[in-house]
Amino acid sequence: MGRYAIRRLLQLIPVLLGTTFLINYMVWQLPGDPFAARCGQRPCPDAYINAMRAEFGLDQPIIVQYWHFLKNLLTGDLGVNFNNVSVASQLAESWPITVRLGLMAVAIEAVIGIVAGVLSGLKRGGFLDNVITISTLILLSLPVFVTGFLLQWLLGVQLDLIKPTVSDGAPFVELIVPAFVLASLNLAFTARLTRTSIIENRRSDYVRTAIAKGLSNRRVVGVHLLRNSLIPALTFIGTEVGSLMSGAIITEGIYNINGIGGLLWRAVNDHDFTIVVPIASLLVLVYLLANLLVDLLYGVLDPRIRYE
Amino acid sequence: MRVAKGAQIVAGTALLALGVAACGGGGSSTGGSGGGSNPRAADGTVFIRGCEPQTGFVPGNINEVCGGTINQFVFDQLIKYNSDTAAPELSQAESIESPDNKVWTIKLKPGLKWSDGSPVTAKNYVDAWNYTAYSPNAQNGGWWFGGVEGYSDVATEDPDGPDGPKEAPKPKSDKMSGLEVIDDLTFKVTLTAPEAVFRTKLGYTTFSALPDAFFKDPKAFVSNPVTNGAFKFVKWDHNSQIVVEANPDYVGTEKPKVKKIVYKMYKDDDAAYADLVSNNLDFTELIPPSALAGDKWKSDLGDRAIEGQQGVIQTVTFPLYDKEFGGNADFRKAVSMAIDRKTITEKIFNKGRTPLDGWISPLVDGYKTPGACGEFCAYDPAKAKEYLDKAKAAGYTPPKEYPIWYNGDSAHKEWVDATANSINQAFGPDAGVTFVGKAVPTFAEFRDIITTHKMKGLFRTGWQMDYPHIENFLNPLFKTGAGSNDGLFSDKELDAKLHEADTATDPADSIAKYQEAEAMLTKEMNAIPLWSFGLQAGTSKWVTGVKVTPFGVLDPLSIAIKEA
Repeated sequence: MGRYAIRRLLQLIPVLLGTTFLINYMVWQLPGDPFAARCGQRPCPDAYINAMRAEFGLDQPIIVQYWHFLKNLLTGDLGVNFNNVSVASQLAESWPITVRLGLMAVAIEAVIGIVAGVLSGLKRGGFLDNVITISTLILLSLPVFVTGFLLQWLLGVQLDLIKPTVSDGAPFVELIVPAFVLASLNLAFTARLTRTSIIENRRSDYVRTAIAKGLSNRRVVGVHLLRNSLIPALTFIGTEVGSLMSGAIITEGIYNINGIGGLLWRAVNDHDFTIVVPIASLLVLVYLLANLLVDLLYGVLDPRIRYE
Repeated sequence: MRVAKGAQIVAGTALLALGVAACGGGGSSTGGSGGGSNPRAADGTVFIRGCEPQTGFVPGNINEVCGGTINQFVFDQLIKYNSDTAAPELSQAESIESPDNKVWTIKLKPGLKWSDGSPVTAKNYVDAWNYTAYSPNAQNGGWWFGGVEGYSDVATEDPDGPDGPKEAPKPKSDKMSGLEVIDDLTFKVTLTAPEAVFRTKLGYTTFSALPDAFFKDPKAFVSNPVTNGAFKFVKWDHNSQIVVEANPDYVGTEKPKVKKIVYKMYKDDDAAYADLVSNNLDFTELIPPSALAGDKWKSDLGDRAIEGQQGVIQTVTFPLYDKEFGGNADFRKAVSMAIDRKTITEKIFNKGRTPLDGWISPLVDGYKTPGACGEFCAYDPAKAKEYLDKAKAAGYTPPKEYPIWYNGDSAHKEWVDATANSINQAFGPDAGVTFVGKAVPTFAEFRDIITTHKMKGLFRTGWQMDYPHIENFLNPLFKTGAGSNDGLFSDKELDAKLHEADTATDPADSIAKYQEAEAMLTKEMNAIPLWSFGLQAGTSKWVTGVKVTPFGVLDPLSIAIKEA
């Protein structure tokens, strides 16, 4: 398994090279001069445009620019953005907040989703199953921004239970509602996936064998059934970690959370590739690592799966 | 940044504590009106909505709203515009005099200080202006000094533009010959030609002074400035907040009434609005469209809602460089008369905009009623048709589909579509031309197409005044070759009239000439005035006395904390 993990990690290098180049290229291809829109209804002075282009190397061919980017990345120097603010310090401030929000969302999604899925799967057709099916249906049919605005308005403005927006340091308590909003859609998916897989596996041979052996119901469900039924849910949760973080743009906007979502959004609008490229590359990395983690966890959950 | 981190956490928790207190206060006082203590009173801090400035605290390099607003908080200018009347009043200057509007003698008030304790001197002004104008410094506001004698020696142009291979030659000098320090508090400005409006211009941020500390380390100054305004800079947490505090040395007649202002940045107007409604934010001048719809914001905010006017106008411009879409004067007049401004402002903007019948904002010096555009800006379908027929008889055949362009990344679609509909209805089905609203995805692309003169159709233009004077709505937009003359309009007579007005020595006479110049725009009708912007703002229940300037931003001296 160790060798497998190392091989997968090595594979990250070409993938990262390719994606960062593509991202660089695409940002370069965006129509419109990034500095033309910075002076409102007035054309920017030529001297200003020249100075900015020279400073950010926009007057050089794309390959040269990409080479500079790689060199700076390897030396850990991300430079400054178009507003002359250090990119690294902006990432250092917003990245942990988004990671915190993302992990909280994953936790909420996994705990509530799996518990609800198991409960409804075990008591199929019962009252609880119906309640969960209906409530997940509601969550599935609401886009994230509707859930977000609804909860903000209800809990923040009407009932005064929470602050409508998250304050600067994004403390844990204030992130609970946004994390729930972010998790809501995936939570419903997780619950349904778990439910289906529990229902299927309950009729499988190994469960029947376990029951026939006289194992307690608790052990049958807790060890044999649950472990095998979690694989699809886990795959789903793992692959969605990356999209949770990039999908945080909407949630971060609604609750004014100072994470990478907002940073990315503004940077894309300003054509500020100095921010877009590092964030997009980081997101790619998160996706890849999350996928690797899921693959490795398969082996833990299902002993039949082995990696050499 | 490392130093700021600790402070940020402290501020964060303070903010949290405040928020909790605010919740408590709000909860207990839901029944009564004035009950509960005011959480702002404890430390005299108010929170207002802001956004991340593009450039830091160098007044000569700023040309966008986020940076402009905060710089108005921390730098004082020679002139300040009255928040109620927009009239220019002396601020740092004791007197600004000129016998001929060409040579200006500016005297500073004694005892003015920078936040590092050094005095504000005439040299600070001269140095700052020279720095901003010197083209290798690449300051955005450099062109503001174009009228000062010796400007051509310090600013050179790139012979083939930014895209060409050639570079701009090095300027002959880094000092404009028209600026002269007389003594510590007096300096003289010589312009190349008389300019009646020069005094009014001096309130624009670009004309601020810069302290000696700036020239020692311009890079560090950007994010940690030494200032001289009513408020002084405390700290800037990027993308999150800028904090300023009252300057105890400020000598202005009106003193700050709060101890601290936190300029809190929001990514989303709706988020700021939610905070405003629940009293976590004390002021925002951006009420989101979702709240404006059906006047919801007025019922949400009650007496905390502020309505007013601001010096911003909306126009649409014809590409006169394009034969097919430029049309002739009669066609352009026909289009203007086919737009039902009143209905659109009522239905789409809930009366948040006022129909225009001239090319200048109603707020500025030189505005008169009825406006210069007169009958050509009044909705009259019959006359519109008549002019369309005239245009066709004169040999212009409009294309079958005539687009009105806008940038799709802001809320323009609704009014552009409504305008197109209004024109189509007025012209009737057999006009042979159909107007349609068309979006360019982003503002950057939109500006790119405009500045390279490739627009095929009418396009959205607007103007936010730099200073409250009729001149600011004419010279930059309609003079031949002017910076924002996006439709490449050119009229020699108008140029001559504007020049006459520019160089007139008597201010009243000058304004009369500008008005004559404005009236001449009806001849070619190259840009169609639509409406001027109203202002919708709101405050929390914790503050009082809030005034909004004609520039549409908070007057920081007006805001005060309500006594509990």
